[in-house]
Amino acid sequence: MGLIVKRWQIILVRAALLALVLGAWEVAPRAGIVNPMLLPPLSEVVAMLQVQLARPQVQEAILVTALEVIVAFIIAVPVGAAAGVAIAEFPYAGAIFKPMLFYVFSVPKSIFLPMFILIFGIGFQQKVAYAAFTTAFVILMSATAAVESVKSDYVLVARSFGATPLQILRRVYVPSMMPVLLETLRISMIFNFTGVMIAEMYASRTGIGHLISNWGENFQMPQLFAGVIMLSVVAIAFNEMVRLMEARCSTWRT
Amino acid sequence: MQYVADMRAAQASGAAIEIDRVSHVYAGPDGGVPALSNVSMKVGAGRFVVIVGPSGCGKTSLLMMMAGLRDHTEGRIDIHGAPIPKPDPERVGVIFQEASLFPWLTTLDNIEFPLSLRGMSRDERRRRSEPMLSLVGLAGFGERYPHELSGGMKQRVSIARGLVQDPPVLLMDEPFAALDEQTRMTMGHELLRIWSTTNKTVVFITHSLTEAVYLADEVYVMSPRPGRMIDHIAIDLPRPRTYEMMATDTFGRLRDRIWQQIRKSH
Repeated sequence: MGLIVKRWQIILVRAALLALVLGAWEVAPRAGIVNPMLLPPLSEVVAMLQVQLARPQVQEAILVTALEVIVAFIIAVPVGAAAGVAIAEFPYAGAIFKPMLFYVFSVPKSIFLPMFILIFGIGFQQKVAYAAFTTAFVILMSATAAVESVKSDYVLVARSFGATPLQILRRVYVPSMMPVLLETLRISMIFNFTGVMIAEMYASRTGIGHLISNWGENFQMPQLFAGVIMLSVVAIAFNEMVRLMEARCSTWRT
Repeated sequence: MQYVADMRAAQASGAAIEIDRVSHVYAGPDGGVPALSNVSMKVGAGRFVVIVGPSGCGKTSLLMMMAGLRDHTEGRIDIHGAPIPKPDPERVGVIFQEASLFPWLTTLDNIEFPLSLRGMSRDERRRRSEPMLSLVGLAGFGERYPHELSGGMKQRVSIARGLVQDPPVLLMDEPFAALDEQTRMTMGHELLRIWSTTNKTVVFITHSLTEAVYLADEVYVMSPRPGRMIDHIAIDLPRPRTYEMMATDTFGRLRDRIWQQIRKSH
């Protein structure tokens, strides 16, 4: 009982805070507390969002960005996961490649952007290549951790019951790694999205990142905030979706 | 004398496990680390045998070898007359230390795990796992997940999982080591009850001298690494065992003898 009441309380307080922030966003620029040139009132931004969403140019940009994000993810996940599993499973390969990978992982990937432009130009391929490059590293590191998180006891138990290597993979490794894998998916998508955005804002002819960057340069703040809202909605939606799946596995997480 | 009589009885009924001069050396620099040295033992069918010894003496290694989970460098291990080069759940069931249940499976699914590896149908699996669940006293807990069970209950599930394929030999590697003293005693008693209804040959590893004397027909004592068998003690307490026996002189004498052997070997 107490817990349920508290939950409602928390939801109410959250809603109140959200209303407060949104209200302040509307009132503060109108009252002249903040410069409306820098922060246009919320209503103006929402109206601009509707206008922008109706423009074919913006729709195309959304489509391009979405495709870049999806394709980069589809490339990065298997490549990163395979490399990560290989490093964890073959100690010899791990001993050789792990330090190198950690070195490269620690370097900010954006410094490689000019190279990606020289190789791939500033089109679709370059966005995908750069985002996949940054994302694969995150997945690789997490996949290694996921494999190492599988308790050797579980493998021993399965072996003692005569499990084949394939059965051990399917019946022990996959379910055992599931919570970590889902978390990896969620976090790597954040990196993936960031990769595409940075590449688009740095040099591009289309895409949401490109539009946001342009709007900023031209001091079109309502448009810029509209773009921010578009992106945030998509990113938060994906994140929450995976988090929901994670919560389902959280009961047996140890 | 009782010891000799027991040995004869064991031989008459046929040995379930025969270990003949087994040695093992772990590969490493400088020729490797010797883990076991010239270990021999014979376990009669249906006997309850306990191995005690200091940490790192190689008793778990020995058990893993009996389960076909680990190689040995020298000697011979036969389970029911044949070597065991790889795990054979038809002949040997293994029950591990704590937390070896799969946390993503329910109690029943954990018990059925060995059966599902062999592609048995769901109905057939249930038909076999339900009686195991009652045998270990967990009827009604089939749909619970391991994190919803106490330590003692988890080990009951482990025992059921080890028994579900009905192997004649059951190997137990310190199964109750992680439990508190009271639960441990209860579980030992429960194990004896289960054992008496199933006629399994049990090899049980423990650190606890009380547990060893309470459970065993015979106790083998191992030396520190490289592990050797330094004593073989027949536990001539009547069955069924009761908690009151722990207070008897015989019980104390037996426990003391094991303790002296372990102390001497250091």
